[in-house]
Amino acid sequence: MTDPVSVAVLDDDADLAATVARLLVRSGIPARAFVAPQDLLAAVPATAFGCVVSDIQMGEMDGFAFADALRTKDPAAALVFMTAWPTTTHAVDAVRRHGGLDYLEKPIDEARLIASVTEGLAWSQRERRIAAVTAALTRREREVFDLLVRGHSNKAMAGVLGISERTVEDHRASIVAKTRTNGMAQLVALSRGEAI
Amino acid sequence: MTTADAAPARLSNNLRSLALRRQDVPLLALYALAFALLHWAASPWGGAGFFSLWYPAAGLRFAVLWSRGARLTPWLMLTEVLTDAAVGVFPLIGPEALQAITGALRPGVTCGLAIAAVRHMAKSRGDELMLPPMTLGLAAVAAPILNAVMVIPFEAGLPADAGRYRIGVDVAISLTGLAVGDLLGILVLAPLLLWTAAVADGAVPIRIPVPHLRPLLEDVSVMALCLLLTVALWRGGLGAQPIPSLLAGAWIGLRHGRTAAWFAILAQVTVFLPYSAGPLDDGSRLELHLGLAAVVLVTWLAGSFCDAQAVARQHIDRRNRLLFQAERLKTLRAMSVAVIHEISQPLSTLAIEAAHLKSVTAHLDADTAASAALVDRKARALSDLVRRLRRFGGRDVDEPSPLPVPMLVQTACQIVGAEARASGGRLDCGPLAADLVVQAQEIELTQALVNLLRNALAASPGGTVRLTVHTRGEDVLIDVSNPVPDAPGSSGARNDARNDGGMGVGLVIARTIVEAHGGALSRSDEPGLVRFTISLPLLTGAFA
Repeated sequence: MTDPVSVAVLDDDADLAATVARLLVRSGIPARAFVAPQDLLAAVPATAFGCVVSDIQMGEMDGFAFADALRTKDPAAALVFMTAWPTTTHAVDAVRRHGGLDYLEKPIDEARLIASVTEGLAWSQRERRIAAVTAALTRREREVFDLLVRGHSNKAMAGVLGISERTVEDHRASIVAKTRTNGMAQLVALSRGEAI
Repeated sequence: MTTADAAPARLSNNLRSLALRRQDVPLLALYALAFALLHWAASPWGGAGFFSLWYPAAGLRFAVLWSRGARLTPWLMLTEVLTDAAVGVFPLIGPEALQAITGALRPGVTCGLAIAAVRHMAKSRGDELMLPPMTLGLAAVAAPILNAVMVIPFEAGLPADAGRYRIGVDVAISLTGLAVGDLLGILVLAPLLLWTAAVADGAVPIRIPVPHLRPLLEDVSVMALCLLLTVALWRGGLGAQPIPSLLAGAWIGLRHGRTAAWFAILAQVTVFLPYSAGPLDDGSRLELHLGLAAVVLVTWLAGSFCDAQAVARQHIDRRNRLLFQAERLKTLRAMSVAVIHEISQPLSTLAIEAAHLKSVTAHLDADTAASAALVDRKARALSDLVRRLRRFGGRDVDEPSPLPVPMLVQTACQIVGAEARASGGRLDCGPLAADLVVQAQEIELTQALVNLLRNALAASPGGTVRLTVHTRGEDVLIDVSNPVPDAPGSSGARNDARNDGGMGVGLVIARTIVEAHGGALSRSDEPGLVRFTISLPLLTGAFA
């Protein structure tokens, strides 16, 4: 993975894509412009974009279809939609069904764009950390971890998972070893995607 | 004003409208003269039990009441009685006076009643038979029939031997004779008089319509053929048969309308009346006139029906044009949405780059910085405009929601503001209380207000259109007023766009929208001022 905190701007209007990308770069956010959804999707697992700013009405593949395709390849990329045809149904769909963080009308409000992208990057970073942490754990360890950070006692966890307290303790030790954490507070912070 | 107050006020208004006006006096004087003349001219067609089988004075009475309004009824009645007395038709004193005076009053009353009733029906019903040309025809038939029918109640209280309509002959014959005489008089004379009155009023241009050759030839030959047939039947010993004329009249009326029908009636009457004025016994004269009345009636109603059809066709044409216009507006709207989209795409790029340019040139020389700042400001203004336009024209669903009245007024004034400046007019949207909220579909209601403002601006070129908002009880009232040079209610004070190339539907649309919001659109003029008021129920309670 190259730079994980970078932004992709997707718009079938090449000028606008380039302009928005340059605007982000000027604001200190590394960004790349894309004109075709396929190009962006092809770049995806190799390049992990923290946030993708996408147009909705595009030629062959619309923004929502693209969003779904992107989600299957990288669930931790934040999405911000922009459109020249704002409608209420689209705005609701963009956020509810396609996991968009924001829905921007063209002409674009610069401050709002930068705020949304910044928020998206932070979200993506948390998601990636959580993913990185939990990727090392086994399925059982993951279950214990989830209950643990919600404040369950060993006894309670043993009851919920149907295993002995002793086994729970083994899993806890393994989790602490794998995540190299020191105490409960750090485990909770990890589960929220915060840096330790 | 409550309903209890309204009824007496309406009554006194009605009574006041009956008062004699100065311009009525010469009309009544002329009427007296003409009435006496026509009354005398009817005498050759008299008979036992009725005055005359051809009574043109009834046509005169009908024409005056129809064109000058039923309010003249009492004055016409008075004039008739005085005229009759003056020329010695009957004495004003003496044993027969009461009977004679009531007899002279009755036709006036019944004619006024018939006209008022038909007009009232026409107002409350919208079907084809009640279109303007047809109402005149129906009133012309209703008046003589009502006159004849009313004889019975009018004379019921009088001494049995005094009635003109009861002596010696059967009541039915007597009343039929009366109705026939009036009907012929009305249908022959009234159309000509009404046309003359319309020309005198300037309602129709003084222009004798030049008929086209082919319809004229058609009508003349149909009429000639039928009259020849009549003559042939008469020569054959069957007497004067009006049935062929019935066919001709129906043909001509249905084909070419009332003008042609009237000339056909004139031709028929010119042929039959001299004949029936000759030495005929009462029975055959009544029979002949009964037939003639049927002929004239059918001819006139056929003509009226034809004209009513033409009016209905015009209505349909107008509606079609409106539909076409609506379709065009829909296309225009779709186009404007597309244009907004096409503009907003490059504008996005432009606005971002302009803002960048402004920030990077800020430290350069003043001229460059000013240019960049200007470009940025214009791009920003354009972006605002696109967003606002899209809100107005691009949304498909316009859900009712709480809408602050100041916002409504501001949007409407913004939309119309540019037009006002372009036409040299002024728009004065005064200060508004912020706490007024209505439940409304924003775009529709804005459209209604925009229509009113546009009409007001068009009606007072260069004037100041004033928009004020105030409350009355649970309602908010939005007044749009504009100054007019003419007196209110005159044709100059019409507030619709019809004279400016518009379709004149702005007001209709505004009214429909306002009423759909549970409100009302009313007009209350003052001298020199036209004022339209939108009243809407205020939203109170938790939502306000």
